[in-house]
Amino acid sequence: MPKCIIDGREVEFKPGQNLVEVAASVGIEIPVFCYHPGLTVVAQCRMCAIEIEKMPKLQTACSTPAAEGMVVKTKSDRVKQNQKSVMEFLLINHPLDCPICDKSGECDLQDNSYKYGDSYMRTTEERRTYMDLDMGPVIQKSMNRCIHCTRCIRFGQEIAGIHEMVAVQRGNNTEITTIDGRPLETDYAGNYSDICPTGSLTLKDFRFKKRVWYLKKTPTVCEGCSRGCNMEIQQDANTVYRCVPRTNMEINKYWLCDEGRFNYQYIHDAARVLNPAVSGGTAGLQMTEWSQAVVAARSSLDGKKPMVLVGSDLTQEEVQALQQFLNKHLSGTPIFHFGTPGVTSTQKDGAADPILKRKSKTANLNGLEKLGIKGFESVPSGVNAAIIFRGGRAVVPELKGVGTKVGVGVFNKPDAEDFHAILPGTSFAEKDGTIFNFEGREQKFKRAILPQGQSKNLPEILMLWANSGAVGGAA
Amino acid sequence: METYKGETLFIQHFKNEEARSLDYYKKKMIGYESAKKALAMSQDDIINEVKKSNLRGRGGAGFPTGTKWGFIPKQSAKPKYLVCNADESEPGTFKDRDIMRYTPHTLIEGMIIGGFAIGSNVGYIYIRGEYTREFTLLNEAIDEAYKAGYLGKNILGTQFSFDLTVHRGAGAYICGEETGLLNSLEGKRGEPRVKPPFPAQSGAFAGPTIVNNVETLASIPFIIQKGGEWFSKLSKIEKSGGTRLLGVSGHVKKPGLYELPAGGVTLRQLIYDYCGGILNDRKLKAVIPGGSSAPVLTADEIDVIYDIEPLQKIGTMMGSAAVMVVSEDYCMVKLIQRITKFYAHESCGQCTPCREGCKWMEDILHRIEHGHGREQDLALLLSIADNINGKTLCALGDAAAGPVSSFVKKFRGDFEAHIRGKKCPNA
Repeated sequence: MPKCIIDGREVEFKPGQNLVEVAASVGIEIPVFCYHPGLTVVAQCRMCAIEIEKMPKLQTACSTPAAEGMVVKTKSDRVKQNQKSVMEFLLINHPLDCPICDKSGECDLQDNSYKYGDSYMRTTEERRTYMDLDMGPVIQKSMNRCIHCTRCIRFGQEIAGIHEMVAVQRGNNTEITTIDGRPLETDYAGNYSDICPTGSLTLKDFRFKKRVWYLKKTPTVCEGCSRGCNMEIQQDANTVYRCVPRTNMEINKYWLCDEGRFNYQYIHDAARVLNPAVSGGTAGLQMTEWSQAVVAARSSLDGKKPMVLVGSDLTQEEVQALQQFLNKHLSGTPIFHFGTPGVTSTQKDGAADPILKRKSKTANLNGLEKLGIKGFESVPSGVNAAIIFRGGRAVVPELKGVGTKVGVGVFNKPDAEDFHAILPGTSFAEKDGTIFNFEGREQKFKRAILPQGQSKNLPEILMLWANSGAVGGAA
Repeated sequence: METYKGETLFIQHFKNEEARSLDYYKKKMIGYESAKKALAMSQDDIINEVKKSNLRGRGGAGFPTGTKWGFIPKQSAKPKYLVCNADESEPGTFKDRDIMRYTPHTLIEGMIIGGFAIGSNVGYIYIRGEYTREFTLLNEAIDEAYKAGYLGKNILGTQFSFDLTVHRGAGAYICGEETGLLNSLEGKRGEPRVKPPFPAQSGAFAGPTIVNNVETLASIPFIIQKGGEWFSKLSKIEKSGGTRLLGVSGHVKKPGLYELPAGGVTLRQLIYDYCGGILNDRKLKAVIPGGSSAPVLTADEIDVIYDIEPLQKIGTMMGSAAVMVVSEDYCMVKLIQRITKFYAHESCGQCTPCREGCKWMEDILHRIEHGHGREQDLALLLSIADNINGKTLCALGDAAAGPVSSFVKKFRGDFEAHIRGKKCPNA
């Protein structure tokens, strides 16, 4: 591999790699604002300017490919002076409202200001201000904080495939906005907030809810569709505050769709059944004890011919445990998977858009097929009861002729009013597990929060069921 | 007062409303004979002839034209383009306007030859939006050329075809920067691009592109007609061929366009001998020698040969050969404030130092001019200018910073008088 010299260190690089990347590969940070590895290089912010031997002017590291024998200085006086000056320029018009800004604590402008800027300012001029228009339900815009890096414009054009963010006016009056001030249209709007190096574009969903330094971060895999984008759950005190993408160049690169990003909201939905519940007749579902609910669930199947429906939003581990349980206690019961209406097999799965989204709105369709489970098409003849195992995503199909329904897992009260019993289970954030994405890629994820309310993990529920006396059902 | 008696290319035809017709061009000027000659030459021979001529870009940078043409790859999967930069917008510059107005066929013929030399079949003239009359006149001349078979398919019975379109800008100075121009030409926001790649590799519509100034291209037919050596000998200085159209404005008795051999006069000769000296016989205060982006010269610095290298040596530039003369009764602070306001207004806003710095300098200069300046403002101005200079994406930052530094350094007393007196002494 060719080599260049950065700050006196010999560094190997792949041809075509720019100096920001090459330096980062050996832990040398070159500060950037406009540069983003997933977007085209525009060299606008000038923060990454470094010195290259034999070149009279400073060069922007983001737009300069490393070359054999190139001698680069990233910490010379000239480089440091430029960094100070760019920071000063960027802060002339920045409101410095960090105490009320959601980005504070994870803000590139703030971080780089501490690391590379001066602690005092020489400007006394009035700051530039803008009027902000509403940008729709996802993004809150605060143009006064903007540093014109244009990452958002490039993200829209290059990744989301929609030219909705634009620069209008010119020079010092340049405003970054949507065309005609229209609301954002893309289903990937959350990424605008991720890539914004300041607090100009923040998530309405996350706004004012939590200072970011309180958040604990757990790597996870999105359960929103069969792609399995890598993301991070950020929580505090067992409450999930947001999910953000985790870079995985093989799967989702740097991005995450809004559906996946905000999917977590059901975890804390007030309608989620978090206590064991049994049917109270016309009174609807009634909260009860675990032991009573299990017995009620079991006995509701007495004399019935049940089938088992398992959501393709469950993990391999859960389904394997379930299969063992069924072999032992309910052998012969037909079992089907369900998840997305119309997508009953991986054959019927496919791309839902040219970016990330898949048609299967559950994450483990592939995994369930691997375990030999067939997709649910219609109720087999004679079957009059169903035990439905569900994570947070699978859509329970219409079950004609099935009078008795027992739900195990994550259910919402309005959807489960006619169930005989609900044994509350856990969402993806509350458990460990393995799933297979549409390409057959095996991915593990970690529990981020404790099970909410009274809910329990599936193996534990199965154990309770097995230990609750004679196992019910046709067998 | 002196007038130049030697050979000139353009100026004798200016102010003559008849000159722009094809008929006149054929009778009194080159009449597409150079194009005919060039189409029978090899591409390399044409480029070599241009190299020999020492023709240097007339837009401001002074880059040797033949060398630039040589950068175009011979083979290209994408179409090549020849673009004429007619976005003449550097304050003080008004030479290209008269070429387009009075001798448009020199430009068209120059583009045909240039297009043939670099292997391009498509040419664009990007003209500044305010030049409405010139836009019409150019189009009329192009129509004439099409009708006469000088443009279009199989020019003059050869295999070479060349189409020429005039594209109007929308009034942005930054579109005179060649990559900003190309973006605007493509229908994008007029913002300069990151270089490299340079236009010769990837320019208009990502094809190899040459961008030349109007005067540069209009000089080409003369070079082909009489040879590169003849052209280079028109000048009085090495490394710079031909004559130059000099636009003199400001406080001189006879402002206007002058065509003189490159390096033929000193600034003093130009101002006092050709332009008749300072208006109302006042004293000279300062000269901005190459468009408003050129660092200013004091009255003591004008015994300099007016050409690219001599001016570079004393820390300024010839730019677009627009000389702005300032007499003793004009306020230098007001002048630099107005110049800086222009650059702040014309900054495209892409890159940080230019977007933020130009406006900041303007604010400070405004404050000083209006009697609210502070002692530390001058050091601050120099520091800001230094933080912009050479650190921006395109040359606009340098164009804004250079004048500010030079004004503050060379006319510091004027600034101090404003600050200490708490008002403009000239007001």
